[in-house]
Amino acid sequence: MPEKNIDFGRFGARGIKGSDAVARKLDELAGGIATPVTAKRGWMARLHYLTKSTQTLKAAQDAGLTVTHRTLKAWLEGKRRPSKTSLERIDQAYRTVRRHNVARHLLRRLNRDGRGTRVEIHPLNQSQVPQQLQRVVEYRTMNVRRWDRIVGSWAAGDHQGLDAAWQDTIVDLGSQWGQYEYVTNVGFAA
Amino acid sequence: MSDFDAIDSLLDAVGPQAELPPCHVRRELRERARLSKAQVARALGVSPSTLSGWESGRDPAGEIRTKYAYLLDGLNAKLATETETETETETETETAPAAEQPVTSGTAATVTPLSSPDLGQDEDGDDVELLVAPEPCVLCGHPAGQRVAGFAQHLTPADCRPTATGAPAAPPAGQPTAHTSKAPLRTTRPARATERSKGPARHAFQETSGPVDLIREAVQGALAEHRGDVDAATAALVKRAIPDAMRLLDETRKGARYDVIAHPWIPDILKKQTARGADQIWEARPKWTRHELPPGRHQVTALDINGAYLSALKTHLPLGQLEHSTGLAHDRRRSGVHLITPPEWEHEAVLPNPIGQRDEPGPLWVTEPTLRLLLRLSGPKHQLCEPPQIHESYTSGATENLLEKFRIALKDARDTAIEQGDRVTLEYVKAMYSKFVSTMGESNYNRELYRPDWMHLIRSQAFANLWLKALKAHDEGLVVVRAMGTDELHVIGDWRSVFAEGRAVTEVKVKDTYTAGTDDAEHEGEGE
Repeated sequence: MPEKNIDFGRFGARGIKGSDAVARKLDELAGGIATPVTAKRGWMARLHYLTKSTQTLKAAQDAGLTVTHRTLKAWLEGKRRPSKTSLERIDQAYRTVRRHNVARHLLRRLNRDGRGTRVEIHPLNQSQVPQQLQRVVEYRTMNVRRWDRIVGSWAAGDHQGLDAAWQDTIVDLGSQWGQYEYVTNVGFAA
Repeated sequence: MSDFDAIDSLLDAVGPQAELPPCHVRRELRERARLSKAQVARALGVSPSTLSGWESGRDPAGEIRTKYAYLLDGLNAKLATETETETETETETETAPAAEQPVTSGTAATVTPLSSPDLGQDEDGDDVELLVAPEPCVLCGHPAGQRVAGFAQHLTPADCRPTATGAPAAPPAGQPTAHTSKAPLRTTRPARATERSKGPARHAFQETSGPVDLIREAVQGALAEHRGDVDAATAALVKRAIPDAMRLLDETRKGARYDVIAHPWIPDILKKQTARGADQIWEARPKWTRHELPPGRHQVTALDINGAYLSALKTHLPLGQLEHSTGLAHDRRRSGVHLITPPEWEHEAVLPNPIGQRDEPGPLWVTEPTLRLLLRLSGPKHQLCEPPQIHESYTSGATENLLEKFRIALKDARDTAIEQGDRVTLEYVKAMYSKFVSTMGESNYNRELYRPDWMHLIRSQAFANLWLKALKAHDEGLVVVRAMGTDELHVIGDWRSVFAEGRAVTEVKVKDTYTAGTDDAEHEGEGE
């Protein structure tokens, strides 16, 4: 697409990919266990979440928690402590499963029976750009009605898919949509 | 010789400067003549901000000073004669109550010499624009001489009569006029207004529902649903107070200049550190009790400030995303949070510290209202402390009017409810503003607004308002015993001469009275 930025940040503009901002916001909305995985309370809670039923355990195994039942039992009984790499895996599996579980509800709330959700797009930060190269980039809002692709690729952890989905969405901003490929923040409520 | 000529002409030019009235009089003159800053500035050939400067302390010099003096002089003369005619008109209306009071006559008459028709019409923005031909007021339908933000309307509620009392009659024919030159204008103008106000445009705005109607409809709906069961209706309304407050906010921001930006990027200092923890902002909540009472036993009155958070909705709120800056002086047009080193407070014995009961020394993040309070107290008027040192700021362009319509709608509903003894509406309004403030930050109960900065600012404003009430009491000779929370002020003395008693937001109510004193063993224990 011709409006896409080729070398973002060359003149000092700062921002993050719009799709990353969306993923961040969706993660925020999904919520979850706040205690860090390094604390016992944190990894215990995650393990409990992942072993609640056979389905979640299956999903956790698919998401990379490939340990034996023996090990899991030892962890849950507190006889052993997961190693550093295992902790990372637990966290990763937890995030994947959590996203997957929350996605359905989140999608319903965002679509709101087809009425959609108002999205605020806060433009990139130009404070470090030389004066003569600065451009007027306004704060924009838009109503997004179809979230299926966005939430779907977010839940699947598909960064490229999310990026493509978001790009197709912001095209509705009009001919300057390329200015909003990178942003400081994307805000919406669910 | 030519050198001397030049010097002579210079010397001629140096004369006594034109006399100007004091600043507040300048402003008053202009406002009484209902002239906008933009209009006057254009006539003088300066910018409106320069004019603001002249009206708030600065003085023009040179040729422009003479012009300005001439203008003020002219306004003064005009207004003097105007008041005469107005009093005459008033006496006339008193004698003949059926006759309509000519609303536009005063303003139109004073304005015409200055503003030519084309000057008045291309005004825009919030500035009041004077109409050459009065148009029906959007609120009451009667002819109004001013246009604000594109809508013809009256400037004062006194002029604006809500329902039509029949077609406005032409003013009395034999109206006394001081200036004969203006007589034709006066006779023609109200006549045209009569024609216009009869048109269909008059009904255009009467049927639409305003924000106050939204509240009334909600209350009526809930009462109907619960078949008049007051308790059940109140409970139901309180439960839906947050979404309703958001809807009311949307309603009041219709056609407004600024968007309510609900999800800006938030700096880390405004984010909660942990799930239950607080962020780094110090709200300056007062929690102060006087160490020593004056000798003897005293009657202490615990006063309660009505609707403290409702009044605090009027504060300088940052509009957009907060931007970081270091080492800059305070900018009155911006608002946000600031890292400051607070000044020493030497009046702890009689007045609470304006930054609240802080245990740790050193710099702290405070909000705009606290900073403005400190700056004000360090100013030439009070001189109670040194100015605070500002190290860092996160600010954005600010306005005081963002929640103003919202606040007025709630205040009006509250006033009406108190007047009619309507407990349901009162509870509903209270739940709306208090929950709106408490959930506008990082709350899961209100995800539509994510502005922890506003939440802190509004709370701090409530605390600053309480602090200023304490100062007022102190200045008026009362003994301030305790300032606590958002709305609690304990004083000794005749407080009725200082504060009005009642239930309106400008008034205070008595929470409790108790006796305390040095020879009393239960040192102010009873009041708690």
